[in-house]
Amino acid sequence: MKLFRPEAVPGFLSAIGLLLVWTGVSLFFLPTFLPSPLALLNQVISIFSHAAAYLVIGKTLERVLAGLVLSMLLGSLIGLVMGLRRSVESFFDGWIMVLLTFPSICWAFLAVLWFGLSDIAPIFTIVLIVLPYVAMNIWEGAKAIDKDLSDMATVFRAPRFLFLRKVLIPQLMPYIFSSLRISFALSWKIALVSEAFGASRGVGKELMYWFQGTRADMMLAWGASFMLLMVAIDALVLRPWENRVFSWRPAAV
Amino acid sequence: MASHAVVIDGLCKKFPTPSGQGEFTVIESLSLQIACGSFASIVGPSGCGKSTLLNIIAGIEPRDAGEVRVQSQDGAHSGARIGYVFQSPRLLNWLTVEDNIKFALEAQNIGRSSWDERVAKYLHMVGLAGQERNFPLKLSGGMQQRVAIARALAIEPDILLMDEPFSHLDEITARKMRVDLMQILEHARPTILFVTHSLREAVFLSEEVYMMSVKPARIFKHLRVDIPRPREPEDPRLFDLEKGLVKEFFAVLEQDFR
Repeated sequence: MKLFRPEAVPGFLSAIGLLLVWTGVSLFFLPTFLPSPLALLNQVISIFSHAAAYLVIGKTLERVLAGLVLSMLLGSLIGLVMGLRRSVESFFDGWIMVLLTFPSICWAFLAVLWFGLSDIAPIFTIVLIVLPYVAMNIWEGAKAIDKDLSDMATVFRAPRFLFLRKVLIPQLMPYIFSSLRISFALSWKIALVSEAFGASRGVGKELMYWFQGTRADMMLAWGASFMLLMVAIDALVLRPWENRVFSWRPAAV
Repeated sequence: MASHAVVIDGLCKKFPTPSGQGEFTVIESLSLQIACGSFASIVGPSGCGKSTLLNIIAGIEPRDAGEVRVQSQDGAHSGARIGYVFQSPRLLNWLTVEDNIKFALEAQNIGRSSWDERVAKYLHMVGLAGQERNFPLKLSGGMQQRVAIARALAIEPDILLMDEPFSHLDEITARKMRVDLMQILEHARPTILFVTHSLREAVFLSEEVYMMSVKPARIFKHLRVDIPRPREPEDPRLFDLEKGLVKEFFAVLEQDFR
């Protein structure tokens, strides 16, 4: 890998520019209202140097993953049968529209009213908001299935399960991965909002705590910490996985 | 041992008209018997219902009337193995060449212990030894079609259906594939039903040629090609046969369109 890439120069310059402007503006405010980038970095380091922070982040991550897995599984299943069966399509069509248009924040509040301070509230909220996006996406994918390949599988008498594994699901993989990306990005944002109102522990709860103490610096530090974690998961888990699954594609020219 | 691999009796097929009102008849009371072990071609103009006929035999298209029986060598009606080479390769691009063939073997419930041996044997036969681990999209169109042929042969079918398998290839590649197909068939000899719009291709490849007319499809001529193999593509006897058939073809077509 080359260390110097000319195409990366504009991005690098804009990052430097942002940090300079940020540092300049922060001189006019209290560090707890708008910290300088360096002060923020210090806060992030201090968060990560306390063992308790890992418990808090772990708790949130647990809810994000539970919500993500549930919405991916249920959404894929619903989207798949909708794409393959006309009758099911009209059955779920209305429900998907309701879920897509109902205000997300309502779910977050309702979940707290219904389930109280528990793990269920944030997971419930994630599933209700993310599931329709997944279902819509997989539905599109299932409608785009190549009939020629299905016919080929029928001629060779592929049993249902073999057809599913080797013919159907591989064609859905691009849709599954784009759903996974959207779901992942949505899930952790929803989890934080939901935790702010309805959890006894979690990153969202931390944000609420520091909000009530009017400590913008700590809110930014928690937000940045969690962001770093999410970027790391994307770069270290999702991307390599995706590259491996699609290795059969000729490299883009 | 059954004497016929495929028996078609009084087959009818209708399609709805494009306007959605009424139907038109694609195939009307068509009867045909393909002897075991023979290479039979059906020649007809585009859109005459040749592919539809193959799809009905393969069981991916329903029929409206008549009988279609595909028999295995031992005479059983059910459980006859059907291999199909389509116009386009129809490979599973996310599986390696080897796994594409194994897909067909698994679908046909063929014992796992023979898979590696069959993959090696048939890939070698179509001239693709060493490509086992490659993905289809890294191969040329001609090579992909060879994989499709190996996949169809690997299940050791009772009947091999081929639907204009070389029509998507450039003429030079197609010519090479035809000659190679002849060589392959010296080693593996299933019954073959080959569909094409090219009389030259049909007389070069087959022992039996059936000529089909349009709207509705019916067979108006059956011809045996007795020229022994291996045949040369430039054999003058093949040209003479082709010339005679072309004449008859146009006579019938003109009647049809009058």
